[in-house]
Amino acid sequence: MKKIILMSVLVVMTMLGSIQPSFAAGTNYSMRVDGLACPFCAYGIEKKFKKMEGISNINIDLDKGVVSVDAKEGVVLKEDNMKRLFNDSGFTFRSMKKTEK
Amino acid sequence: MFLKKLKPVGNLLVLGLVSSPVLAHDPIFGQGPHVLFKEGVEIATEFHSSKKGSELENELGLEMNYGITGDWAIGLELPYEIKAEAGTVSSGLGDSAISTKYRFWRKDSKGLQESAAISLKIISATGDETKLPALGSGTTDNIVGLSYGYEGRRWYRWASVRHRQNGTSSVGLKRGSRTLLDFVAGMRPTLTSYSEPDMVYLLELNGEIGDRATLNGNTVTNSGGDEWFVSPGFMWTIKNFAVRGGVQLPVSSNLNGTQSKSDYRAKLSFEWHL
Repeated sequence: MKKIILMSVLVVMTMLGSIQPSFAAGTNYSMRVDGLACPFCAYGIEKKFKKMEGISNINIDLDKGVVSVDAKEGVVLKEDNMKRLFNDSGFTFRSMKKTEK
Repeated sequence: MFLKKLKPVGNLLVLGLVSSPVLAHDPIFGQGPHVLFKEGVEIATEFHSSKKGSELENELGLEMNYGITGDWAIGLELPYEIKAEAGTVSSGLGDSAISTKYRFWRKDSKGLQESAAISLKIISATGDETKLPALGSGTTDNIVGLSYGYEGRRWYRWASVRHRQNGTSSVGLKRGSRTLLDFVAGMRPTLTSYSEPDMVYLLELNGEIGDRATLNGNTVTNSGGDEWFVSPGFMWTIKNFAVRGGVQLPVSSNLNGTQSKSDYRAKLSFEWHL
């Protein structure tokens, strides 16, 4: 009986383990942004990304001038849209680096 | 009757206090080129106190700003005034204002933003000018401005010039126009990260150059003149919330005729970006 329970637990854990990577799959976008001097002013960036579906882990590094976000699978950020997003927030988008997770 | 009408004249002359629109990382008393992000809403409450001889003025203002684009914002100010002069106190809605600011130039580099903006503010006669002391000017006034700002991770500097043109009241009083000059330096002692509380210290030099008022075309002798202030201040922020404050201390007064010099002006504001 104990063996059956143990086996069942292992099967469930294995299934969960196989499901988890599909949740975490997605893309990390790291964007070089100019004009980032103060945290209060940068809040507009966070607000604009929060409005977007499938975006999480919004990080703003003021010293490096880098904004990074995670996009879930199927969500693609395009340079033109990012230029507009950062311009609407009061900053200048320079470049974007994409890393598949 | 005429003398009674003239009594508020003294008060009206000090209504020339110019409050700067509360906008993010702008100076406390001067003006900077900062605007809001597109579709951003800023709500601010501001307490403003000033003393000039026997005149004490306290103002609690509610201010709202909206970002039309990333470079263009509009705003509304609704002040509640409590004024005291020689034992007489009056209170109520002061002169409300609408304002707009357009950032026409921006140069961004890593951790640095330089920009310049033009602004316009129209102050309407919503305050009761018949109360003693008067709560409003009884005129529609406007302020046009030009500002420059350098905002780095460590250092800040701003410069601005504004010109206030006043209307003529129903008793024929036209307060003199005023030119305001502001030079501001700021420093962030600790380079904090985005989510940490952030403090910036400011030191402003604010100049006010005023023309004489006229009453039915005649010059009012005891009006106009120049005043300069040194104004230490601070901006404390965390994410989308800010507390800003400062004190204006007069360092030079060259007022025409017999007029009370400014003793101090103080400002404290709380702001939310939504």
